[in-house]
Amino acid sequence: MTALEGAFSEGFVEADGFRIRTMEAGQGTPLIHLHGAGGMRLTQAHTLLSRQYRVIVFEMPGFGLSPVNDRTQSVRELGATMARAVSALGIERCNVIATSFAARVAFWLALQEPGRVQALVLEAPAAIRPAGHQPPSGAPEQIARQLFAHPERAAPMALDPDVQAKQRALTGRLRGPDRDADLEARLRELATPTLVLFGTLDRVIPPEMGRYYKELLPNCQLVFVYDAGHEISTDRPEAFTDVTADFLERHEAFVINRKETLISP
Amino acid sequence: MKVSYFETGRYVAPPDMPREWPVPSGSYDAAVGTESLRGMVERVKFVESLGFDWISLSEHHYSPRILTPSPVVAATWLAARTERIKIAMLGPIVPVSNPIRIAEEMAMLDTLAPGRIVIGLLRGTTNEYLSYDLNPTEARERTDEGMDLILRAWTEPQPFGWQGRHFQFRTVSIWPRLQQPPPPTYALGTSAEAGEFAARHRIGLGVSYGTFEIMARATTYYRQRCAEYGWTPGPDDIIYRANMILGETDEAAEDALRRRDKQGAFPVRPSLRDALLEADIKRNVAGERRAQPVGGVLPISFCGGPDRVVEQIRQCREEVGAGVLDLSLQDPGTGDTDGMLRALDLFGRKVLPRIREI
Repeated sequence: MTALEGAFSEGFVEADGFRIRTMEAGQGTPLIHLHGAGGMRLTQAHTLLSRQYRVIVFEMPGFGLSPVNDRTQSVRELGATMARAVSALGIERCNVIATSFAARVAFWLALQEPGRVQALVLEAPAAIRPAGHQPPSGAPEQIARQLFAHPERAAPMALDPDVQAKQRALTGRLRGPDRDADLEARLRELATPTLVLFGTLDRVIPPEMGRYYKELLPNCQLVFVYDAGHEISTDRPEAFTDVTADFLERHEAFVINRKETLISP
Repeated sequence: MKVSYFETGRYVAPPDMPREWPVPSGSYDAAVGTESLRGMVERVKFVESLGFDWISLSEHHYSPRILTPSPVVAATWLAARTERIKIAMLGPIVPVSNPIRIAEEMAMLDTLAPGRIVIGLLRGTTNEYLSYDLNPTEARERTDEGMDLILRAWTEPQPFGWQGRHFQFRTVSIWPRLQQPPPPTYALGTSAEAGEFAARHRIGLGVSYGTFEIMARATTYYRQRCAEYGWTPGPDDIIYRANMILGETDEAAEDALRRRDKQGAFPVRPSLRDALLEADIKRNVAGERRAQPVGGVLPISFCGGPDRVVEQIRQCREEVGAGVLDLSLQDPGTGDTDGMLRALDLFGRKVLPRIREI
């Protein structure tokens, strides 16, 4: 167990017949994190956010230590399952962070339960992908170079080949088309305040995809995180936390600068 | 080979004026300043008539040596008063500026003078950091990030925010935008960072004031990095800014070189210069610490009569690979404007027609 994991307590919640693992830390408004295609991985950003929020990181069914998931048929279904998992924790309202692959899961969660999600933060979302997009592949070092602008800041990735194969099969089955017309039509009506973050050095999803979320979502902010790759919260955890927490607190009013420049009175 | 004339504002300073940077504002003579800046138009029209391709401007502060603290203001004035010649801003000093402001001003100029603007973005010489109170140790990072943000502001079609290290903006959506195709854009410098940035963003590289050998190291590195990113820069993608002493004969030019002021026009005092150098470890692409032109004298890269200079330009083209030469035919800060105009005329008649095919 790493020091990061030590600060988080493990739990389980039942939803749709799945036993879903959670890692939790902090007090305050619930902040749910749905991980990317590589599975749950705690980062410095989780710790920083747990100083202000009750952070609950889900391990979605079929990822990590959970058994093979061959029941879930779509990201829409997975979104519904995760909404029921949130509900089973007794949480009425929460903020949601979704990373990469999980962006579509979070969108369906919010679309199906619009009252539950106060605000949505999408870290390098893969909900809209360039035509013919391929997920990262290759040797571990090659994958790390695609995911991170600063691989040296990342903890060594858990690379159990069985877990990887299981996750790859699941995400391959659920990833859907590069452009999902049904979802995109629904996004035009999603009123949830949404922050889309892209690292300027993202080599998995081009940061230029960010503009499509601005076009589709009626209440969307797009922010580029300089010198971060696909895994923004690992490459620049302080920057990720700063902009995320500010947005969760103030939504679109976060564009109003509150930083003081007074040097001496 | 394309040729550019470096226009500096040419304030003619009286001999009794203080010679140390920063030069006291109180020694400024409004009549001299007006003549200096308004004279830009005449000089630029002259080089336009000689067939020069570009004129260039730079940003310097607190001294009569180069009287253009805002190259954008100078460029706007000149663009409105000339017809054809391209106006290169080499360039706005990114780390001391608001990058959004640079992006907006360049887009405005490009709209007012379509097809005639060239943009160079640079880190600047160390003494400029004193002018706008920048910590020299942050200059490199602010330059890289600021350039990245400028390029993003030019291209992003939707309002966006920027969560940087040194810059933070929550709403960026510039109007007007650049013309299409966008103007030629360059990162300026001989550092590995400048070469890497230019290669990654598929823009040009501008190098300045070094020997062919040192400049060639920077341009070779740039071309290598471009190959890594899957493209090949052309001759117009590399600018070389340099000093030239051109005489009717080799002997005349060498005589002028011997008479050249070895001092540098308005240097920073030695103790402050040393402190600046200590604070700002600036290295070129070979990892060598660069001599800082903090108001000091700059090297001469070309010297001779027309025949010899043509040969030197041919050698430069082969070694450095630059397709654009940005020239000063006299040290900035010297008062002999007539001498410079004679040299420009000689260049236009005896050198320019012979280097077009180089």
